[in-house]
Amino acid sequence: MRFFLPKIHHDHTSFDALARLYAETKELNFNKVEIDLRETYWFDADMCAAFGAILYSLGDRLNKVNIIHIPQEVETILSKNGFLSHYGRLTIPDRWGTTIPYQRFDVEDDHFFANYIEDELLHRDEIPDMSRELLKKFRESIFEIFSNAVLHSRTDLGIFSCGQFFPKKDQLDFTVADLGVGIQKNIKDCTGEKYTPEEAIIWATEEGHTTKEGNLPGGLGLKLLIDFIDLNGGCIQIVSDAGYWQRKNRTTKTERLSCPFPGTVVSIEIKTSDTNTYTLTHEIDAEDIF
Amino acid sequence: MPEEIKIYMFEVVGSPLCVASSDGQKVYERLKTALEMDLNVVLSFHNVTTLTSAFLNAAIGQLYGIFDTDQIRSLLKIEDAEQDDLALLKRVVDNAKLYFKNPEKFNRAIQETLNNEA
Repeated sequence: MRFFLPKIHHDHTSFDALARLYAETKELNFNKVEIDLRETYWFDADMCAAFGAILYSLGDRLNKVNIIHIPQEVETILSKNGFLSHYGRLTIPDRWGTTIPYQRFDVEDDHFFANYIEDELLHRDEIPDMSRELLKKFRESIFEIFSNAVLHSRTDLGIFSCGQFFPKKDQLDFTVADLGVGIQKNIKDCTGEKYTPEEAIIWATEEGHTTKEGNLPGGLGLKLLIDFIDLNGGCIQIVSDAGYWQRKNRTTKTERLSCPFPGTVVSIEIKTSDTNTYTLTHEIDAEDIF
Repeated sequence: MPEEIKIYMFEVVGSPLCVASSDGQKVYERLKTALEMDLNVVLSFHNVTTLTSAFLNAAIGQLYGIFDTDQIRSLLKIEDAEQDDLALLKRVVDNAKLYFKNPEKFNRAIQETLNNEA
């Protein structure tokens, strides 16, 4: 069976295209599946996280996945970040060092993920000059996203990540996708409340809201991320089930996808030229924390 | 028995990256045992470069589920933390106090906020 993909940017339209790919293939088992990219003239590299998650679920159902008719430029991008090496091709050297490789993690791989981020993102010479404070905020944000997936996804299939620098645009994109139960189901199981997919994402972004089990408070991670993105001037998108949520220029918008995505995706766009100091408005006394 | 013990998060986690909830749990186990024995504890952030709310919720936030605020305040001290780390910790602590004060009410209040936004 053959499926076609359009151009893939990290936006609502492309998340919708990937969700449709999932919808069209989710019943397939033991099949030969061809993903035809002849019309995919652009592929935002960080979207490999979401694309890879869908292809991984196909492989998990013992389908044979083959990616065909890849335009040259897209093939170069997806070879540099190692994505195509998962589908029988070679990884080619990333001469300019602008890719953050595509990688899959299990939920127990916290330390492996931490090392990946340190090695591939923070300790490389090619990383754009970011202020010390921005770099710290950025790495905290990435770990918050991963922790969120670890704590909430309830997946055995893994967590997928990928990123890309755009030196000329002073921009860094990073996406984490999981094949978990999604935010809507988590809330339903935790509170009994049935929200629409978009409402569920809004719920999860409210400070103090958590679906963690047991005696563990939570519900700060996404709020911290949003606060950072608001200051940085970047963008954050969350896709879960059929919900799409975007925060940009301190404005939130939600939309519905035509089909559900099989898990949750968090995608951030960081302005690396940001010179905000992120200093606190008042000194915090260590004696006055508790 | 020492009058005061010092716990280095860097040593417990084995890395400057205090980011995983599972690592926070290891710190929590030590803090819980010490507080149960009424020991004064200094928690050192020395060498820690990155923190997440998930780690701090597990390490410190959940203490508020079993100890009262006065007990934690009198026994637990923080050392070697940068200002922005203290700010994150303060936010985690405030969130935990609110959560354990009345979890149901806390969840309901946020749901009402959501309903007003819809």
